[in-house]
Amino acid sequence: MAALLRSARLLKCSPAALSTLPCVSCRQYGVVPEQRGLVKDEPSVAVRSKQAQQFDWALAKLDSSVRRTGRVTKTLLLRIFHDICRTGYPSGNQALLLLRSCGSLLPEVPLAERIELSQQIWDKLQELGTTYDVSHYNALLKTYLQNEFRFSPTDFLTKMESANVQPNRVTYQRLIAAYCEVGDIEGASTILGFMKSKDLPITEAVFNSLVTGHARAGDMDSAEGILSVMKGAGIEPGPDTYLSLLNVYAEKGDIAKIKQTLETVENADILLMDRDLMQVVFSLTKASHQQHVPEIVEHMRHERGYVPDAMNLCLSLITHGHEETAFSVLKSFTGLLVESQTSDSPDLGNFFLRHCANMDKPVENIVGFCKDLKDSGLHSSPLQFTLQCALEAKKTGMAVELMRSMKEEGLPLRPHYFCPLFTHYQKDKNIPGTLQALRAMQELGVASDVDTFSIYILPSFPSVDSARTSLKEAGIDVDGNILIAAELRTEASRGNLAGLFSLMSSPALPNIDLSAFRASLISGFRGLFAGLQYFCCSGPTEAPFVYLYDSINVFIESRKCQIGSSLLFAENVAYFLYNLIDSLNETEVHSKEEQIREYFGLLKNMNISISLNIFRGIRNILESYQVPELVKSPFKTIRQYLCIHKLERALELKTQYETDMTPAAYATLINLCCRHDNAEEALKLKMELARKDSDAALDAQKYVALVRVLSKHGKLEEAIDMLKEMKEKDVQLRDSTIGLLTLTMNTAAMKGDANTIRRLQETIFTLGLAKPSSNLCSPLIACYLESENYAGAFDATVEVQKQYNQMPKIHDLICGLVEKGDAELLQKVMEFLSQERGEMMMLYDLYFAFLQTGRYKEARKIIETPGLRARPTRLQWFAEKCIAAQQMEPLENMVDMTVKLFECDRDDMYHYLLRLCKETNDWQKAEATWMKMQEENLAPRERTLRLLADILKNNDKEVPFEVPEVKEPIRSDSMGMVLSPAPYDTLIKTLLASGNIEDAMAVKNIATDHIPGFSLSDNANNLLIISQVKRCQMKDAMGTLKGMLQADQVPTQLAITRLVQGLASEGNSQDIQEAEALVKTLGSIKLSSMLFVNNTALAHIKKYDIDSAVELLESFYIQNTENQKSSISFVFRKVLDANNDAVLDKLSAMAERLCNHFASYRAATDLFLIYLDTGRTEEAKFLLQVPSLTNQDIHTVYTCFLMRGYFSQRSVRTLTHFSTWRPLQHYYFMRPDMCRMKYCMFSPSLSTGLDKDFSSAKALYERMQAEGVKADELTLKRLALLYKEAGETVPFEEPPESFRFYADKLNKQRSESMEPANN
Amino acid sequence: MAATAAGKKVFEVFVSKVPWTVATKEVKEYFRQFGQVKKCLLPFDKETGFHRGFCWIGFTTEEGLQNALQKDPHIIEGARLQVQKNRKPFSGRKSNKEAEDI
Repeated sequence: MAALLRSARLLKCSPAALSTLPCVSCRQYGVVPEQRGLVKDEPSVAVRSKQAQQFDWALAKLDSSVRRTGRVTKTLLLRIFHDICRTGYPSGNQALLLLRSCGSLLPEVPLAERIELSQQIWDKLQELGTTYDVSHYNALLKTYLQNEFRFSPTDFLTKMESANVQPNRVTYQRLIAAYCEVGDIEGASTILGFMKSKDLPITEAVFNSLVTGHARAGDMDSAEGILSVMKGAGIEPGPDTYLSLLNVYAEKGDIAKIKQTLETVENADILLMDRDLMQVVFSLTKASHQQHVPEIVEHMRHERGYVPDAMNLCLSLITHGHEETAFSVLKSFTGLLVESQTSDSPDLGNFFLRHCANMDKPVENIVGFCKDLKDSGLHSSPLQFTLQCALEAKKTGMAVELMRSMKEEGLPLRPHYFCPLFTHYQKDKNIPGTLQALRAMQELGVASDVDTFSIYILPSFPSVDSARTSLKEAGIDVDGNILIAAELRTEASRGNLAGLFSLMSSPALPNIDLSAFRASLISGFRGLFAGLQYFCCSGPTEAPFVYLYDSINVFIESRKCQIGSSLLFAENVAYFLYNLIDSLNETEVHSKEEQIREYFGLLKNMNISISLNIFRGIRNILESYQVPELVKSPFKTIRQYLCIHKLERALELKTQYETDMTPAAYATLINLCCRHDNAEEALKLKMELARKDSDAALDAQKYVALVRVLSKHGKLEEAIDMLKEMKEKDVQLRDSTIGLLTLTMNTAAMKGDANTIRRLQETIFTLGLAKPSSNLCSPLIACYLESENYAGAFDATVEVQKQYNQMPKIHDLICGLVEKGDAELLQKVMEFLSQERGEMMMLYDLYFAFLQTGRYKEARKIIETPGLRARPTRLQWFAEKCIAAQQMEPLENMVDMTVKLFECDRDDMYHYLLRLCKETNDWQKAEATWMKMQEENLAPRERTLRLLADILKNNDKEVPFEVPEVKEPIRSDSMGMVLSPAPYDTLIKTLLASGNIEDAMAVKNIATDHIPGFSLSDNANNLLIISQVKRCQMKDAMGTLKGMLQADQVPTQLAITRLVQGLASEGNSQDIQEAEALVKTLGSIKLSSMLFVNNTALAHIKKYDIDSAVELLESFYIQNTENQKSSISFVFRKVLDANNDAVLDKLSAMAERLCNHFASYRAATDLFLIYLDTGRTEEAKFLLQVPSLTNQDIHTVYTCFLMRGYFSQRSVRTLTHFSTWRPLQHYYFMRPDMCRMKYCMFSPSLSTGLDKDFSSAKALYERMQAEGVKADELTLKRLALLYKEAGETVPFEEPPESFRFYADKLNKQRSESMEPANN
Repeated sequence: MAATAAGKKVFEVFVSKVPWTVATKEVKEYFRQFGQVKKCLLPFDKETGFHRGFCWIGFTTEEGLQNALQKDPHIIEGARLQVQKNRKPFSGRKSNKEAEDI
């Protein structure tokens, strides 16, 4: 929507206009109507939903206009305004949209009229109940500025205050601009004072206004001085500052200064757009210095959007009475237009001529322009075109003058040129007007004819006779025959066959060519026919049909008129038949089957053929009523088609059964081997299967799994054989399976095995198993990028592009090169990109790489390339990337830099920014974004406003505008729409996600009413369970679960977990058992084994039945030693959280008991860890002091601890503290096999706390050395860095590989040694 | 039906991009060079007083039709007409409801 909001398009006003404007007085101000306390009825949901659609529609409409032409026409704006009013409840952002279109987007409308329009819109919308917020006042201010409206800023502020709307930075900026427009520096300073007292930042925009202000006050020195003031304040003058300066020079006509400034701008590496220079042209012209215009025009770069901008400049100039200058501007860019002209007859400058006509420019001027355009070969028929415009605008005087010129030029004048004028007069029966036009016709020597008379002239008069008299009185000669013929036609077209008959039988009837009224006669018939049709609809009888047939025949016979009625007849009958059948309902068709059949028979007898189109229509209706037999009788059937369909389906079924015949057991087994990464066994089984049944095929997923395992284990050839076999056996790959192939190659990429990737890629593509895609091609590039081999990556890119026409990972490659600073290779890549995807795409690639790597200055240079236009998909790609990675800086920079990008959708841009603010919950940034949007004069879409409001609300901030309601398709039924189940389901999910169960259920009921058998999807049911648990509606939640299982739906792990936890918190152990039993039947869900045990225990605790809980847990650990792996820390944590000491004592006793009597340490370990985690060091110590705890037990405790990967800093600190305490040192640190454990204790300290503290790290390392702890490579690598940074020699051999290498290695070791996490 | 088959056979072309400056008379005159013109339907918009920019020309003979179709470009008063065989016999009907044949 960007185009709509491009603020830079605005033409600023000049002081010259000040003296000429009638309303210079500062006392005159915009009457901002007071807010009325009137509270309208809340608009219904349906209205609001409609509104939202309408806003989108209106915005799209306005935007497409601005996008194409850079302007909005008054007609379009008014139409949208009235449409919005008609709904009765205009929303806030609709109002904003309208207000913002009332300024310089209307170059064809005079300023005074624009102001009137904005005031009208403001008042009307307020009357309809729109609430105005600060953004509306700001938008109104903007239109005042753009329309050079003089008003009192202080009164404006008072108005805002009385409406209880707080002005913001943008408001003050615009008020300053308003003072500056009239050179009132004092006023501007007052506002500046306000801003300072409110601690608002003084932005570039303020300084820019001051430049204008000083200049208009006649103080050029101060105006120029502002630039150094700015620099002093730390603000660099931007393009807009220089533009202000250029404009004030233009107002003075100081071309020397203008040139000098343009040079300065160029040297300062600042870019002025053509649009900016056009403002200078405008300022020059308005101050009557148009002689300098050509010099400015020369400076234009003719960037994208130049032509529409230049056209708008012309229009503005014409509107302001400078059509001569406008014409010279037009002539300066016609060269650009010629290229786009394909027609043999050029018509350049149409917009110019039309606007001249609309603005009532003197005809002699227009004729001059026409002559010029024609002589220079730019327009083949400028006079005719202008005449057309004058006629369309119903400007009789101008049209007649133009025709006179045409006649002088020797151009023909024709009677129908006057028709538009007559139509106009005829509408309000304007007889004098009609007569005036007729007189002009006569003067110009144009003879009127029957057509003109019968259609356009006679209807203005009450009767033919009165017409005859009036014409005579006005001295207009008309051929009597023409009048009679016209009369004949009027009767015929009225369908008055009797009247026609009497007229024709009259002896006074002159010899009239039948063709003169044939068409009227036909249309008369048609009216008759429509009546018959209506009659038919009441029920099919033979009567109307026969009547129709007879009457036409009879008429034709009696009149002996060959009016080509046969053609008419056949067509009409066909239509008639169609409408007849269409008007019957199903039962009627069934009951009247016989009659209809007779009709068909009758038609056949009458030798009437029906066109194929209509036949199809009839057939469709009959088929939908399930009476295809009827169609069959006179026409061909489609029975054969049906047979063919059946055959195909039969074949489908057959193939399905065929796959079922494969030895499924083998397949499952092979798949299992693959899952366990056992390539050998998998291959063996596969070969066995092949021996037994050479035709047997696995399914695609299993094949790919096999390929993956084989290639991973270096069995590349076997893997490729599998792919070939897939092809041979025609195994079809689905998207998910193709994803697995990518994964397979990625595994190879991580190993740096380019060869494997190439072979796999080649095989897959040549066999046609999958089409080359970006994803499938990316591993090869990734393989090189992984090892920072950019040259290799580039070669691979070229290779992949040439072979498969794909270009994956190009962004990563360019970023890498930019970071590395490899200009030479970068250049090569750019050349390649440019050649393959075009310059524009290449520029975007480079732009994103610069943004990504924080080289914003370079990025700006790229995006300012002349001719570059917005590519929404590419911008979106980068924005999404930033949002996903939560990178605010590059995104913000992109949004800022694209302000002037041609066709950039600004709302989209800000929406991305707000989405990221939402992700990071950054309300300050969101608020600043809103301010920027106002500054840019942007009308945001509803979704953007909602998002913004959401962020503010979440942070308990006031939302300073009206929030548009969420669209609710619930009420679409009231609009007569039938929705499919999918939107209902989506809506229910959305409502559930926002916790609104009531509405969700209401929607569900509506859906059930409308769609028989409607049921919620798996996801919706899962959400429902979670929502119900949140609301503690446990009975309902259980019900939902049962319903799901009955409907064969699969509840998610999360839903079950929440449900069971909810039951526990209610102390309902019985239902937990039931849920457990239910879920067990599913089998396939991966749930924590402890979910039910822990929560049952908690349920008992909740019911104060602690003994049962203890019994349950105790028996759990005693009964099965395997259960040692399962943790009950969840129970401990809940109890601790509840500060339930009594329970804790009992559980703690239980843990001790388990240690002492059953050598089961898990419970104690869990408790110990919880103590550590929650900072209860004393309790932890106490637990370790349990007399029966041997060193061995403590070892177990520690092992559990370490293996579970507890690396939070607090626990580590506590633990290292412990390590110097009690028997640990003695036992623990003496054992060499415990080195890794010990290291684990140190490593986090090294990597987290002590990274920057060399001396501590050094001390720690020395201690590790002393205690015989071996540090791993990553630690050594880190240490080495610390030593080097401190300038000391590294006392050990630094590991050679990269940090990442060792980090991965360590992670792998850790994950291998770690038991699966439970709970 | 008395008038069927032969009598009703019309060889029609559909003409679009007709400049506003010419009316039925001029169009008919232009197409006369290709064969006898039996019918010329140029609908006018009663609301605006301008014609709609397209028309149907019916030739009496197949030959006239072929001649018209073979000629390219068709230029009338400097404007290029688009002439094509009339494929949709019904296409004119709807617009005719508001328009008049002149």
